[in-house]
Amino acid sequence: MAEELLEEFEDEQDAQKGMFMTFQMGEECYGIAITFVQEIVGIQPITAVPEIEDYIKGLINIRGKIIPVIDVRVRFKQEPFEYTDRTCIIVINVKSTIVGLIVDKIAGVITVDEREIILPPSLSQSGAGNSKYVFGLTKVEDEVKLLLDPEKLIQDEDMTALEEVVSGGEAAAEA
Amino acid sequence: MGEDFNTDSMLDMFLYESEQLLETLENVVLEKKDEDCFDEASINEIFRAMHTIKGSSGIMMYENITKVSHKLEDVFYYLRESHPENVPHLELVDHVLEVSDFINGELDKIKEGEAPDGDESKIVDEIDKFLTRIKTGIEKKGEELPPENTYVEPAQFYIAPTGSESSKYYKVSIYWRADTEMCNIRAYTAVYSLKEIVEDMQYIPDDIITNEASGEVILADGFHMMLKCQCLEEEIMSAIGETSGMDRVEIHDCSKQEYEMGFHDHGDEPIIIELEDKAKEPEQKEKKEPAPGDYVIKSKEAGKGKKLAKNQPKPQPKQTYISVNVEKLDALMDMIGELVISEAVVLQNPDLKVPGLDLTNFQKAAGQLSKITTELQDVIMSMRMMSLTNTFQKMNRIVFDVSRKLGKDIELEVIGENTEVDKNIIEHISDPLMHLIRNSVDHGIESKEDRIAAGKDPKGKITLEAKNEGGKVYIIVRDDGKGLNKQALYDKAKNNGLIGNRAMSEFTEKEIYQFITYAGFSTKEQVTEYSGRGVGMDVVVKNIQSVGGNLEIDSTEGVGSEMTLKIPLTLAIINGIVMQVGNSTFVIETNAVKEFVRIRRDMLVKEPNGEEYIMLRNECYPFIRLNQRYHLEGSKTEIEDGIVVVLEHESKFICVFIDELIAEQEIVVKPIPSYIRKVQGLSGCTQLGDGSIALILDIAGLIAGEERK
Repeated sequence: MAEELLEEFEDEQDAQKGMFMTFQMGEECYGIAITFVQEIVGIQPITAVPEIEDYIKGLINIRGKIIPVIDVRVRFKQEPFEYTDRTCIIVINVKSTIVGLIVDKIAGVITVDEREIILPPSLSQSGAGNSKYVFGLTKVEDEVKLLLDPEKLIQDEDMTALEEVVSGGEAAAEA
Repeated sequence: MGEDFNTDSMLDMFLYESEQLLETLENVVLEKKDEDCFDEASINEIFRAMHTIKGSSGIMMYENITKVSHKLEDVFYYLRESHPENVPHLELVDHVLEVSDFINGELDKIKEGEAPDGDESKIVDEIDKFLTRIKTGIEKKGEELPPENTYVEPAQFYIAPTGSESSKYYKVSIYWRADTEMCNIRAYTAVYSLKEIVEDMQYIPDDIITNEASGEVILADGFHMMLKCQCLEEEIMSAIGETSGMDRVEIHDCSKQEYEMGFHDHGDEPIIIELEDKAKEPEQKEKKEPAPGDYVIKSKEAGKGKKLAKNQPKPQPKQTYISVNVEKLDALMDMIGELVISEAVVLQNPDLKVPGLDLTNFQKAAGQLSKITTELQDVIMSMRMMSLTNTFQKMNRIVFDVSRKLGKDIELEVIGENTEVDKNIIEHISDPLMHLIRNSVDHGIESKEDRIAAGKDPKGKITLEAKNEGGKVYIIVRDDGKGLNKQALYDKAKNNGLIGNRAMSEFTEKEIYQFITYAGFSTKEQVTEYSGRGVGMDVVVKNIQSVGGNLEIDSTEGVGSEMTLKIPLTLAIINGIVMQVGNSTFVIETNAVKEFVRIRRDMLVKEPNGEEYIMLRNECYPFIRLNQRYHLEGSKTEIEDGIVVVLEHESKFICVFIDELIAEQEIVVKPIPSYIRKVQGLSGCTQLGDGSIALILDIAGLIAGEERK
């Protein structure tokens, strides 16, 4: 796998096309286009920032750069989980916004042919609200991977909820 | 893409370079404006600046800039080569500043992405005339007219005196000391400089250029010239100038006949001037002569006083600079921060704690490493600091311009311009400062007549002072003008509906002075070109506040006003106190902390609605528990266990309850990533020595949040 990766990095832009970094989150496996991924670091001490959205866990320090981190599970309104040694932070760069994503564990890199991407059913009942972050599905060796749209993932789409927080000054975020 | 990038960087370079050159040029000019002429160094400086701008603007195809700079270059080329005396100095200063303004204006246009389309022909014409005038002026001087008359009357500008009957004839002999080498070249230098001022000349030996042996002839017999010219002996003397090895110069008057006969007969008594005397003479003369160019009304006295020019140390050591992108500096700063942390990781590595390990050498090396990293940190900090010199020098120009146009006589005194401030801050205070100075010149200082009537020195004085005090920089603009009239301010504010119906007695003196910083307030009845539009002071205050500073105004009517800008030294680095609340670490700016106190339970006053106050030395302060405010877990709740910090911001106090103090240290302020929206009471974050992140408390925000309750 790694050798394959190295080879393909030779012509970077083209090679990265269709490649997804996959990670495990509970039962599901998710993928994020590798072009967004800046680096992957192990879990680090996180400094909580008060009065912010609960899914933003706080700030981490990567070589002097201060980066906010999002707990993807909380973002998907799933049960929070204990951070372990295997817990990773995927640092992504979406239109110059740098954010860390806390995920259970990294699965690996897959290459997906565009034609193999299936659009999610628009009337998805399950998935507990995470469908809006998923732009497509793909199947690799009988396993379904949910492909994430990182822009939606980090966007503040719940403006109303946000305003509540601002005025109420509630919502604590503890690491 | 590649090509675009190239022209862009060329353009950047051009803009940067030209701006720098113009800045130096302006400084040179302003420094010398009160003297009678430019000295050689400044002439060269201006010449070089213009030459470079001419060249680079030519490459960039900005034709009008090229033309203007070329013209000014011509003038200074002439000054440099011919050393003319009695150049109307102030007029020259005007021309230089005019050109510099013109080019600056064009550069601004280029920066905005517009074409530099300013019309240069007027300036070029004027300089052309000026140049012709100083050129012809030199030859005029044979008539011994007092210099001020020579230049005022346009009728005299274009007299072409060549071959006129009034020509005088001189025999000049130059002798060199016996040990001088290359006398022929030296002689030629004299010939060359005389060529500019004489109408005709002959000399023996006449083969000084071609024949090297002529040097020895000159050494033995001297170098003899016969001149036909309109000038006086002194002028010939100064044209020949003093070169090393010159022993003496003899000048004889001679008749036309003699001149025509050439070198066959020697005339009357020679006038022998020993060089030592001579060397002093022209200098003195230069100083004593009234400045020509008094054609500008009062301009000689207006502007900065002579004293300033003299006080400044003349030859300032040249500093060399390279321009570095601020982003790179920031990156460097981040990396050094990281280095410091890595250092701590290595030096406090648990592996070193193995018992029985001999660490003597390691500790030595470690000490050296720490020293270097600390120095590195200091250097990077200092790299962001700039002295206020440049900013203050700009103010000179403003006082000069504005006071001249208003016909006021004002001296600007600058104190402490070497005070260093963070670069970002300098950028923000330059405009406000300019505005304050203009205000002082325009509104503050009275007209000459008024000053005399009030029994004051007719010359106004503005003091611009910078000093470093208590972690802040104070920039003070003080004038000895008429001061602020409280009643007038109050009336005006009331009429403009800025203060509602409150009576004058409700305001303190300082509050009344602050009225002038309100938007839409201007006490000056007449709007002048420079000030009085009523926009400005509010913008000034906003600008200053944006860098965390404030403006204080003080005034005594009839005696003067004083505007004090208080700004932080830097935005990037503050002295902070690190404290712990539960699991979180916070930082408070040291300057905001009044005191730390341990509070007994009986000092805490609790209102029925849950609000708490602290009674401290019979004063009542608002009280916040940081753990409650930010819902922090695991912190102390018992008042007697923790510490209360008393904080002050703009004369408002607030007490904050924390668990414990950790340290005081310099911290590098970083913004909270914009992805996280603004939290009231937090102004930024910082990385502590161990790599963890602490949040910086914003006192103003905390107080505002408390007041809103």
